[in-house]
Amino acid sequence: MVEKINLEEVKHNIAESNQINTNVSPNKLVKDQAQQLEKEGSLNLEVGENGPIQCSAAYSNESFIASFNNIFKTLISPRDVGTRSKFFKEGEHPTYGQLVEFYIYYLVLTIIYIFMSILRLFQYMSNRSKLRFFSVAFNSAADPEVINSDVNKLPKIPRRISTILNYKSEQEENGGLEGLCNDAAQVASWCLSSGITYLSIYEYHGVLKKRVPVLKKAIYKKFIAYFGTENIPNFIIKIPHLNLTFPGSIDGKLVESESEAVNFPKNVQYNIEVTLLSVVDGRPTIVELTRVMAELAKKGELKPKDITLKFMDQELQQLVGKEPDLVIMFQPFLNFQGYPPWQIRLSEIYWEPDNDSTCYAVFLRALQKYSTCKVNVGR
Amino acid sequence: MADWISTFPLTQHITEFTKNQICRVISAGPVPKHVGFIMDGNRRYAKQNHMEMKEGHSAGFESMAKVLETCYDCGVEVATVFAFSIENFNRSRYEVEWLMELGKAKFKQVVGNGELCERYGIKIRVLGNLDLLPKDLWKVLKDAEELTKNNTRAILNVCWPYTSRDDMTHAVRKVVTKGYPPDAITEHLVAENLYTGGLPKLDLLIRTSAVYRLSDFMLWECIDLDCDIEIVSVLWPEFSPARMAWILLKWGFGRTYYGHRMAKLINIDDHTKQT
Repeated sequence: MVEKINLEEVKHNIAESNQINTNVSPNKLVKDQAQQLEKEGSLNLEVGENGPIQCSAAYSNESFIASFNNIFKTLISPRDVGTRSKFFKEGEHPTYGQLVEFYIYYLVLTIIYIFMSILRLFQYMSNRSKLRFFSVAFNSAADPEVINSDVNKLPKIPRRISTILNYKSEQEENGGLEGLCNDAAQVASWCLSSGITYLSIYEYHGVLKKRVPVLKKAIYKKFIAYFGTENIPNFIIKIPHLNLTFPGSIDGKLVESESEAVNFPKNVQYNIEVTLLSVVDGRPTIVELTRVMAELAKKGELKPKDITLKFMDQELQQLVGKEPDLVIMFQPFLNFQGYPPWQIRLSEIYWEPDNDSTCYAVFLRALQKYSTCKVNVGR
Repeated sequence: MADWISTFPLTQHITEFTKNQICRVISAGPVPKHVGFIMDGNRRYAKQNHMEMKEGHSAGFESMAKVLETCYDCGVEVATVFAFSIENFNRSRYEVEWLMELGKAKFKQVVGNGELCERYGIKIRVLGNLDLLPKDLWKVLKDAEELTKNNTRAILNVCWPYTSRDDMTHAVRKVVTKGYPPDAITEHLVAENLYTGGLPKLDLLIRTSAVYRLSDFMLWECIDLDCDIEIVSVLWPEFSPARMAWILLKWGFGRTYYGHRMAKLINIDDHTKQT
C-alpha cells in the first residue's frame, strides 16, 4: 500500500512557484486582493506581472497584410538556418552554385506560399461566414429552455467539460478582464442549462484565479439573467492548486466574502462546480509532484517502485482535477497552450477554425460532435 | 488507362523526379524537426474494403513506409509512430498475437533488407514499456536498435507498447530513483527523462481518421505552444505521401506566415527569443 503523499506540501510549493507570496495564507491573499480591487473600484488593473497585455495580431483582420509581409521578409532573409542544412554542409562555406540552387528552390517555395496565402484568405472568409451563419442558426437567446431543448435532442452529453479561454486586450471587443469573466460566466450558464455540473476553465496566465471576486459577481449576474431572480443556482469556484474553494452563491444569495460564508448553511448542494486552471497546473505541477516525491524518497518514506501510474493518477486528480470528457477551445486554431497533459488522455477536442469569440453556436456544435463520437480505449 | 501509363519506365522516372523536386522545394522552407503519427484506422479500412484485419494492418505498414520516406526526404529529423498502445493488449488475443507477429516480421525485414534504414541512415529506437512484450519480440526489437544505432541522419521512434501516462510515470520514477536534489528537478529534467528525451521538440502531431482525441500519445510533448496538431479525415492506409507533403507545406507556410502564433495570441513576448 502506498501512503498518501502530503498534498499540502505540494500545493504549497506550487503556490510559491506561481509567484504568490506565501507568508500570508493564500486565502487571505486573495481576499486582500479582492478588497483592494473593491477600493479602487475599477477593473482596469494590470494583469499579472506581465504588465498590461497588448493587442494581438492573430485576432484581427489586418493580420492578412501583416502576415503577407512576413513572407516577403523571409524571402529576403531566410531566418531558419536549420532547414538549409539540406542544401549546405555544416562548417563549410557555401559555394555560389549551392547558394544559387538554394535560392531557386526558395523562390519556388515562396511563390507556392503566396498562392497558399491567397487560398488562406478565401478559407478565412468562408470560415467566418460559416461561423456567422451558425451564430444566427443556433442562438441561445439567453434562455435555459432553448438550450435545454437543443441539448435534449442529443443521445449523450459529457459529464465534465473543460474550456480554454483567452485573455484579450481591453481595446478589443469583449476584451479585458470584464470580457473574460463574461465569457466564463456565459459558458457556466450554458453548461448548467444543458445539465453539465462540472466545468473547468483554463486560461494560460491565470488571470481569473487572481480575480475570483470579479468572476463570482459576473457568474452571479449571468445566472440571474438566465434563470431569473427566483431560482438562482448554487455554484462554487475552486482553485485546485491553491486548494481554495469559494462558495459563489448559496440559496440565491451572492457570497461576497469568506467571512460571510460562515453564516450560510454548511451542507449545500452545489448545482455547478467551476474549476480554474492555468499553465501552472500543467507541466509545473508534475514537476512539483516529482520534487516532493524525491524529497520523500530521500527521507525513506516513499520507495521509487511505489510510483505507479495509478498512484500518479490519484495525486494529479487531487492536484488538478478529473479528466474532462470534452475540451472546447474558443480560439482560431488547435493548440493546447500548456493545458495539464495528464488530463487530456481521452478528452474529445473541439474548436472552430478562425473562430475568436465565445459563442453559443460553438458550444452547441461541440456537444453535437461529442454525442456522435465513440470512445473505445485500445479496442 | 492510368495504370497502363504508369507501367512505362519513363513515367516512373518522371514521377520519381517530380517527387524529389517537390520534397526539395519543401525542404527549402521551415520543416518540422519532429513529427508524431497516430496511425488510426487500419481496421476500419479493412472492414470497408472487405479485407481481413491482418491485411488492414499490413496496408497500414505499407502506408507508413511511404509516408516516412516523404518525411525524411523533406528534411524531418525525427518521426515517432504510435504502433501499439498498452491499451491495445485489451484487444482479442488473436489480434494481439497477430500484431506481435506482424511487428516481428516487419522489424526483421526492415533490419534484414536495410532498405529504408540504409538509404536514409535511419536509427530505429523502440519507445515504451518493453517489459510487457514477449521475449522473442523483445529480442528482435533490441536487435533492430543495435543494428541501426550508428546511423545519424534520421531517427524513427517506434512506440511499442506505449502510453503517454506510462511514459510520464516512468520519467518521474527515474528522476526520483536517481536522487537529484530538489532544486535540480526542473521541467527540462523531467522532459529529458521521458522516452523522447534528448530529441528535438515535437513540432507536429498527425492523427488520421478524424478522431479528435489524443488517445494517450505524447501528451507531455504536444501541449507545447509550438506544437501543431493536424487531424485528417482519411484512414491511415489511405494516407498518401502527397497528403503528407501538403501537410508539411502547410506547416512551413504557417511558420512563415504567422510565426509562433500561439505565443502571440496569448502574449508571451519572450517565448520566441527563448527558442
